[in-house]
Amino acid sequence: MGYVFDLRGVLSGQYLDWFLIGLATTLALTCAAWCLAMTMGIVLTLIRMIPFRPLEWFVALYVEYHRNVPLLVQIFVWYFGVPSLLPRPARQWINVHHGEFLLATIALGLAAAAYVAEDVRSGIRSIPKAQNEAARSIGFGYLGAMGYVVLPQAIRIAVPPLINQTLLLFKNTSLAMAIGVGELTYRTREVESYTFKTFEAFAVATAIYLTISFGIMACGAYVGRRLKLETV
Amino acid sequence: MKLISILGLAAILAGAATAGNADQLVDIKARGKLICGTLGTAEPFSFQHPQTRQIVGYDVDICQKVADSLGVALELKPIAVEARIPELIQGRVDILAANLGYTPERAQQIDFSYSYFVSQQKLMATKESGITTLDQLAGKKVTAIKGSTSEQGVRRLIPTAETVTFQDTSSAYLALVQDKVDAFCASELSLVKLRQQSQAKTPMVVIEKSLFVEPWGLGLRKNETAFKDHVNSVLANLAGTGEFDKVFSKWLGEGTLFNIKRDFAIEAIKG
Repeated sequence: MGYVFDLRGVLSGQYLDWFLIGLATTLALTCAAWCLAMTMGIVLTLIRMIPFRPLEWFVALYVEYHRNVPLLVQIFVWYFGVPSLLPRPARQWINVHHGEFLLATIALGLAAAAYVAEDVRSGIRSIPKAQNEAARSIGFGYLGAMGYVVLPQAIRIAVPPLINQTLLLFKNTSLAMAIGVGELTYRTREVESYTFKTFEAFAVATAIYLTISFGIMACGAYVGRRLKLETV
Repeated sequence: MKLISILGLAAILAGAATAGNADQLVDIKARGKLICGTLGTAEPFSFQHPQTRQIVGYDVDICQKVADSLGVALELKPIAVEARIPELIQGRVDILAANLGYTPERAQQIDFSYSYFVSQQKLMATKESGITTLDQLAGKKVTAIKGSTSEQGVRRLIPTAETVTFQDTSSAYLALVQDKVDAFCASELSLVKLRQQSQAKTPMVVIEKSLFVEPWGLGLRKNETAFKDHVNSVLANLAGTGEFDKVFSKWLGEGTLFNIKRDFAIEAIKG
């Protein structure tokens, strides 16, 4: 008996719905975690720029933890570990308000923030120190010099690696499956276990992941062209 | 286009793995060993013995009987719950003895031997939650192992409940203990074991009424009539000579944690 490759079985009725629900969840999770990662990443970079040793150590520790502990473990820590430290009412609130989505967002976002922080920091380090000193000498404060002079240039340089991080973040959302978030991979496994059409189910998921990834890359290329400055 | 051809190639390779076996019974005898896919994580069916580190249990003993009847050695291959049917179809194992409940969907993919166990699928909740009947679960979160019949049973029989699935028993159980879900659906035996283990810290209640009853069979590839007939005759013979009851009482009967009596017959599963 040969294997008959037939997509119709997994692309009809409830299974199509499951894929679409999964895709929506994956996109929502990616967007939420991305916003958290960018905000947190930039905040971390700014903290690290403050010339105060303990703060620098804190950020370095944060980055090392998130880069060196497997992401799946980080997700489990947030899902099973952190809530048990909270008081009971808070725990129950999380449990009824889609805790798995919320905690997966936090885990993925905070981990990606470590990489974002490193990318932005390398962007900042590529801007000559003299620019910062020049800005300070004409009266900008620390935040002013950063916000108006250094960061706008640094972010441009950081765009390509940040697009990379976005791609990784998008694909890493599939790990949220392990804590019961109904994202694309979770739904794909479900379709598979109902239909036993392993190749078909994963072929559909692969096509969806590829399409979105190409979309992110195209956006990145466009943003990169728009932001390009002849002087940098 | 390239993607499609790669996928096509993968599909052909998968097909090649299953094709070519003229008669599995002959192949197994020629090879001199029976490869049995089993979970390795489900006491008392298939689990690692704490001292010997060997995988032992009810499923393993049944597989051993099949191997003995063929005069070949038994090789156990531990497999994950959701990989059971793909592993069998792709020819990496000869037979599945892996808590495999009968469903019509599965019966389209693989053949089932006579039932060798009948499982009561029940639900467990924390004592604190006050849940003691199935009706109370409407609209609640119910967990089950990903890809299990329990998952499908919950969807079918408690349609208002939200199912949240996990990879393994320990994650699902942890989610129940931490109130992330309201109930856990699994076979009565695994629930009894979990309840016993959590007695001291988090008392649990197993809801008396079964959600559904599930006959288990050994999983066999389709169109292997000779092998299937042989396996069925081995099971029927074990039941006839009383050997079967010995295996049953060794793992599930008096003196074990489960302490149950055999209340089912070894017979063809009615679809």
